[in-house]
Amino acid sequence: MIAVLLALAGLCLILAAGMGRSHPRIWLGLSVIATLCGLSAALSVLGGGEIWLWRGGFTLGGEVPSLRLDGVSALFLILVCVVGGLGAIYSHEYWSEHHYPGSAPKSRSWWSILTLSMTLVLTCANGLHFLFAWEAFALSAYFLITLDHGRGEVRKAGWLYLAASHAGTMALFAFFSALAARTGTWELGPVHAQAGLAPLFWLALAGFGVKAGMFPLHIWLPSAHANAPSHVSAIMSAVAIKMGVYGIVRFSGWLPLPENAGWTILAIGCASALFGIAFALAQNDIKRLMAYCSVENVGIILIGLGLSVLAVQHGQPAWGKAALAGTFLHVINHGLLKTLLFFGAGSVLHATGTRDMSRLGGLWRAMPWTASLFAVGAMAVSGLPPLNGFVGEWAIYQGLLRAVAQKEHAAGVLPAVIVLAGSGALALAAFAKATGVVFLGAPRTKPAAQAVECGWLMRAPMFLLAVVMLVIGLLPGLFFAPIMNSVAAWAPQWSGADPLLSPRTLGGAHTVLACALIAGVALLLRMVRTNGTRQSPTWDCGYVAPSSRMQYTSGSFAGIARGWFVWLLRPEVLIRRVRGHFPGRALVVERIPETVLEKIIDPGARAVGYMADAAKKMQHGRLHLYILYVFLGVTALGLMILLGGV
Amino acid sequence: MNDTLSLLIGLAMGLNLLALGTSRLPVLIRAVAAQGVLLGLLPLVLEAHALDWRLILITLATVAGKGLLIPYMLIRAMRAAGIARELEPFIGYIPSLLLGAGGTIAAVALIRYLPLLPEHAGTLHVPGAMALILTGFILLIGRTKAISQVCGYLILENGIYLAGLLLIRSTPILVEFGILLDVTVGIFVIGIIVDRIQRAFDSLDTRKLTALHE
Repeated sequence: MIAVLLALAGLCLILAAGMGRSHPRIWLGLSVIATLCGLSAALSVLGGGEIWLWRGGFTLGGEVPSLRLDGVSALFLILVCVVGGLGAIYSHEYWSEHHYPGSAPKSRSWWSILTLSMTLVLTCANGLHFLFAWEAFALSAYFLITLDHGRGEVRKAGWLYLAASHAGTMALFAFFSALAARTGTWELGPVHAQAGLAPLFWLALAGFGVKAGMFPLHIWLPSAHANAPSHVSAIMSAVAIKMGVYGIVRFSGWLPLPENAGWTILAIGCASALFGIAFALAQNDIKRLMAYCSVENVGIILIGLGLSVLAVQHGQPAWGKAALAGTFLHVINHGLLKTLLFFGAGSVLHATGTRDMSRLGGLWRAMPWTASLFAVGAMAVSGLPPLNGFVGEWAIYQGLLRAVAQKEHAAGVLPAVIVLAGSGALALAAFAKATGVVFLGAPRTKPAAQAVECGWLMRAPMFLLAVVMLVIGLLPGLFFAPIMNSVAAWAPQWSGADPLLSPRTLGGAHTVLACALIAGVALLLRMVRTNGTRQSPTWDCGYVAPSSRMQYTSGSFAGIARGWFVWLLRPEVLIRRVRGHFPGRALVVERIPETVLEKIIDPGARAVGYMADAAKKMQHGRLHLYILYVFLGVTALGLMILLGGV
Repeated sequence: MNDTLSLLIGLAMGLNLLALGTSRLPVLIRAVAAQGVLLGLLPLVLEAHALDWRLILITLATVAGKGLLIPYMLIRAMRAAGIARELEPFIGYIPSLLLGAGGTIAAVALIRYLPLLPEHAGTLHVPGAMALILTGFILLIGRTKAISQVCGYLILENGIYLAGLLLIRSTPILVEFGILLDVTVGIFVIGIIVDRIQRAFDSLDTRKLTALHE
């Protein structure tokens, strides 16, 4: 049954990739069918809790292909299907033939190839084929990011992505080859018995970590997500980086782990969460802000995973299960809410043509749907109840606090609680800024004033996502049950333990809260209607002619919080002050560099470049010196043999 | 037997110094030729107890090739190009001599630390081979005229030949012929190239060839 569904989904995606170029409607239909098939396959595996296995009767590249879908991969497959399908619908209007006649056909084909290759990454149970699928996934994502390759910054972002991605893939090649060499087979599966494999986990962490965008390997992520078309940003941020998370989750479950793996993942998670949101807070580009927010959320996921690994190492299934369930739920939640947010940002971009928040403002009048759906997403990403963002984080908090309360080996996770809470607060500030500056106030520029609401093909996916998010928030019990099957697939040894989570209580509290909110809003509306409203200008410090420029900008909104992180952000500010009796144009320009990339990796790369240039001087064309090189080389070898006794 | 062997090799090592110290190409070529003849006689000394017609034939061929044929062709090439002197070496004559002498001493000194068979330990055989190879390299690196470099190659080949004689009982002499054939072909090729370079550039200075790189 599952085999049929998956085969059908794969067939639809292959057909869609082939026919998508010339037949947009057929492509949309095929994409939706593939989504539904894939989704039902994933849900039946997740609901049943059994592992689906398939082995081919032939060889491909010298290896027998084998596919496997268990609780962990099915969970991620849900995300691929949901975002793949909704993104297809969204892009049908957003990146339409009418607006982008050159790149819309490419967008459709590569979209199908991307979803297909991600499905293969999740199902391949052979290391060699996994690498093929991984490479196809990385390349199709590259072509999607650079759809709009007429713009220089897009090409630059694409190259950075490609380079970073392949640096990660290199580590993965090393990892899978070493794994195959030590175990004697390319087949993937649990290998706990061989304790000697533990150091390989670091290779996997680095290789998958680049894709996951964990700090400090996130360098490619902000520019790629900001410059890609919004439906691509959504699938990159919501699903593609989760493939990296999947790799880390998968192999932390299958490999024997080094002793300090749990603490390391936890520390990386804390750094990603805190620094990611600090960078997000300081951005002026709305999509860049959300890209950094993805780094934060990967951090939250890694905090949960690190805690679960600690639980495995210390034999504590109770809070380990809670933390892992929270981690898995947050993977899904972040996927859904980040898709919603990027779709919202895309519709703003579609309407105004700019991502710069200082040029937007007052859009809620023109785009009420986008504004309110974006606000729902912003609430969810800030971890506010009664939405889904809170549910996952709540379970992770439960795990963390129980680990602290137990006062044993893992009590040192207390700082992670503080980091998680702090990054939650900063996320609220960042998204209050994004929502406030973009949608509230008065329009700052002409395009912002002339914006119009997007069409229903773009609105429908956003609405659907918001509904699902609300359902997860109100009925978390419904989702915890299948996620426990994923937890069981990750750590089968925990099968008997009770996670001590009470999602029903949480759901009840959320429902009460939601009802109270609705009642409060209804009451407020009623009061406004009965009492009437009175319009007057805001207090304007005595200015005669207040203009839309006298609003909080995105920079000033986050000024104080940004000040706490100056040591990390290192903003580059250009100020031309008002001077003299006839002052010229005054100016303030502020740019937040990508610190890791521009202050560490760039100088390092330049140093390598200088060394390479210096080495090029040895290539001068003088035969005598070439013979000298040969002579020196032979002499050195001779000395090595003589002294080393090789 | 060892005395004759050491005498021959010692003479060949002396010719190294002559080759390094001279600026005249005819002297250099003749030094290489004489070295070839000396080393060509070595198999007779080494295998004196088991002489047969094949060994004598090989010796004659080696002596004729290294002592007469190759030097004759080199001298012809030199005349055709109209050069008799190496004027601007990279490494001057005195430094070359010092390097060569230092290398020779080092080779003799090093011999104590090498794991040699007992029958080779007492002779100049191994240090001689090393000194020849070193001298070949110094000429190759330090001279600019193509003909001097050919002589460097020949001395290098003499060194390899001498080292190969260590294995005379286990290596068929055919292998040695193979090496010699390679070098001969190399010299033919270089001879042709020298001629072409001379015609195209009006000079045999290999430094001017850097304009061709990349």
